[in-house]
Amino acid sequence: MRRTGSTSTTVGAPSARQGGVLHRTRTAKVSVAAGLAVSLVALAGCSSSSASGSGAMTGNIRILANITPVLTKTYYKGLVAPFVKSHPGVTVTIESPSGTNVQSTLQQELVSGAAPDIVASTLDPVVAPQMTDFPNASWVTSTPLSDSNKVDGRIWQVATGLQNQSLVYYNETAFQKAGITAPPTSLDEFTADLGKLKAAGYVALQTAGEWVTGAQFSMMANPGLLGGDPTWYAERNDKKVTFAHSPYATYLKAYAGWVASGAIPKNSLGEKYQDSIDNFLAGRSGMYIMGNWLDASVDSAKNLPFKVGVFATPTADGSAPKQMSGQAQPYSILKSSKHQALDLALVKYLVTDKAAVTTSLKSEGNFRAGYSYSGSDLDAAVGKIVDTAPGTVTGTAGPGVNAGFGNELNTVVQSLYTGQSADKAAAKLDSWWNANAGQ
Amino acid sequence: MPASSTATAVPTAPRTVGPRPPLGRTRARRRETAADIAMMAPPLILVAGLIIVPIGIAVYLSFTDWNGFTSPPHTIGFRNYTRLIHDPAVKHAAFLTLLITAIGTIACNVLGLGVALLLNRNTRINAILRVLVFYPYVVGAVILGFLWSSILGTNGAVDAALGAHHSLPFLSDPKWAIATVVCVIVWSSFGVNVVLYLAGLQTVPDNVLEAAKIDGASPWQTFWRVKLPMLAPTVTVNVVLVVIGLLRVYELILALTAGGPAGETQSFVYNILTSSFDNTQLGYGAAQSVVLMVFIVVVTIVITAARRRSEQAVAA
Repeated sequence: MRRTGSTSTTVGAPSARQGGVLHRTRTAKVSVAAGLAVSLVALAGCSSSSASGSGAMTGNIRILANITPVLTKTYYKGLVAPFVKSHPGVTVTIESPSGTNVQSTLQQELVSGAAPDIVASTLDPVVAPQMTDFPNASWVTSTPLSDSNKVDGRIWQVATGLQNQSLVYYNETAFQKAGITAPPTSLDEFTADLGKLKAAGYVALQTAGEWVTGAQFSMMANPGLLGGDPTWYAERNDKKVTFAHSPYATYLKAYAGWVASGAIPKNSLGEKYQDSIDNFLAGRSGMYIMGNWLDASVDSAKNLPFKVGVFATPTADGSAPKQMSGQAQPYSILKSSKHQALDLALVKYLVTDKAAVTTSLKSEGNFRAGYSYSGSDLDAAVGKIVDTAPGTVTGTAGPGVNAGFGNELNTVVQSLYTGQSADKAAAKLDSWWNANAGQ
Repeated sequence: MPASSTATAVPTAPRTVGPRPPLGRTRARRRETAADIAMMAPPLILVAGLIIVPIGIAVYLSFTDWNGFTSPPHTIGFRNYTRLIHDPAVKHAAFLTLLITAIGTIACNVLGLGVALLLNRNTRINAILRVLVFYPYVVGAVILGFLWSSILGTNGAVDAALGAHHSLPFLSDPKWAIATVVCVIVWSSFGVNVVLYLAGLQTVPDNVLEAAKIDGASPWQTFWRVKLPMLAPTVTVNVVLVVIGLLRVYELILALTAGGPAGETQSFVYNILTSSFDNTQLGYGAAQSVVLMVFIVVVTIVITAARRRSEQAVAA
């Protein structure tokens, strides 16, 4: 934020004591003037700093970005560098979230009047009213999942690629030692293999606390929930269905069994996300449910003591699941931004420029029709799963989903570790949904 | 801190009716009043801008369903307040916060006073120990939270020392996690109590202590009958500060447990932030904030009044 010059320095202090009432009166005037000046300076400092008009193609663009072990500030700076170089007078500032995540940070910044120009992160549709509509141009409509994330027919977020998340990475050496010859396809086979891995001395299924527990559950269970009924969330809003009588209940029951049997250690909740990656890459665990962005971590790990394989998450009947997919590295432009044309040009560059898109896709092993890059064997294996998947389903956010559902699902799944039964966990999801519907 | 009870004992001068002051003096008094107001204006504006206005906005938002993104907010009456009475997450967070506050207040004050008594002598080693005791308070809560999570977390430093088969569930079992949170909070914050009690102990006059010694008072009797009563105002300040601090505990929990496992360590403020930002229900979060604010004010008044009453009883 650029601040205007301080006017408080122009207020002169009384040069000498003049005595009596006159002096006090002048002091009073000076105090009032100083108070006003301080207030004005404070207000000026809080106001938007950009002097550029909405059509100006110069200025500083602030991007509030989702920072992860892979998507670092350096990564984003490198991504926008060619655009900055070809646009004299343009600078880009990458900002990491100061709150618990990008959306909560954005909410705080909007309230305080210090919103960024662009957000580089997946956001709930509840944010859409604050975002600029993208034009109905082919470069917009051809971005991944541009249609499915519309709000009131408006495209407010465009992505560089697709993330596929219904994947189970596994330690091939651990599988061999446990006597598992082929990856499981059904929940029953998966449960049996967890037992074999545990018997072989491995942490059978790697998980962690924080957001990981619920995210892994949805990666596995959402294809079951939405695969056969893509409108399930809408039906839940109409109270035609319940979690207690949905495929979620089946997966919760299976998950509770894995915790009870020790296939998932109860103390897993004491680990952080990065710990879970480190443990899997150290060869301590047999399987790890995660999105395709794990490819980057596996590929960058040096001297892995085992080979990593990947298969699609198991289903109740053993059929190939749809993939829980989401927009990868999406961008939105704030309505409050003072240089809309410049923002749009930058976003267009990020989601259409061949080199930028390829860099973005490669960073996390993401996918996009019409774009290819030389990836690892693991990337190819994930690509094969995606190609043969019968379709895609959404995650725990999106149109029709109560904001905070992912968070609540995480809490509920974690409650299976603390003695909650699967039935009660499913019932808890229903009561949460009812309490938060339409809020 | 001066004993406020003495204020009532000051005799007030009887009002006298005299001749009206001359016009010049009235004008001067008016100018003085104007100058006083002008001098007070900047801090008053700051207080209004930074405290009263935000509180007013929070109260207003608590009667709306605002999510922070759409505008304008819709007024929904007392619905947020009736909802939070029945919300199990709010109930759990309130219970946990009260538990942390109760245990933490006792622990911080007992430890704070005990350590202050031990470090009261001015020796070189005590000077070093005072710095060490106060040091955690200087380091940010978030840093401390991450530090302890790397020590106590699964596969953390303690687990590594104990070996793979002797892992302790400091952060993964709800009861252990709550105990861990309380211990880390007390460890990180009692240093300031030590400093305040040390300052209070410096105010106990040497002649009183010597008199007690001459009268044959044991160290325990000296502490119980002489030092502690003279530390009463310090105790009140410490209790109020700790209670207010613990009722608002958030950052350390965020970094240490992220509210887990299964939301078991979510404090009241943590729940406010979850409602407001994760669930995008700023109106509901504001209602919880207002309840917390009122509770803190009431608790502070009760503690202060109780101390004043006990002081008056002692004086009588």
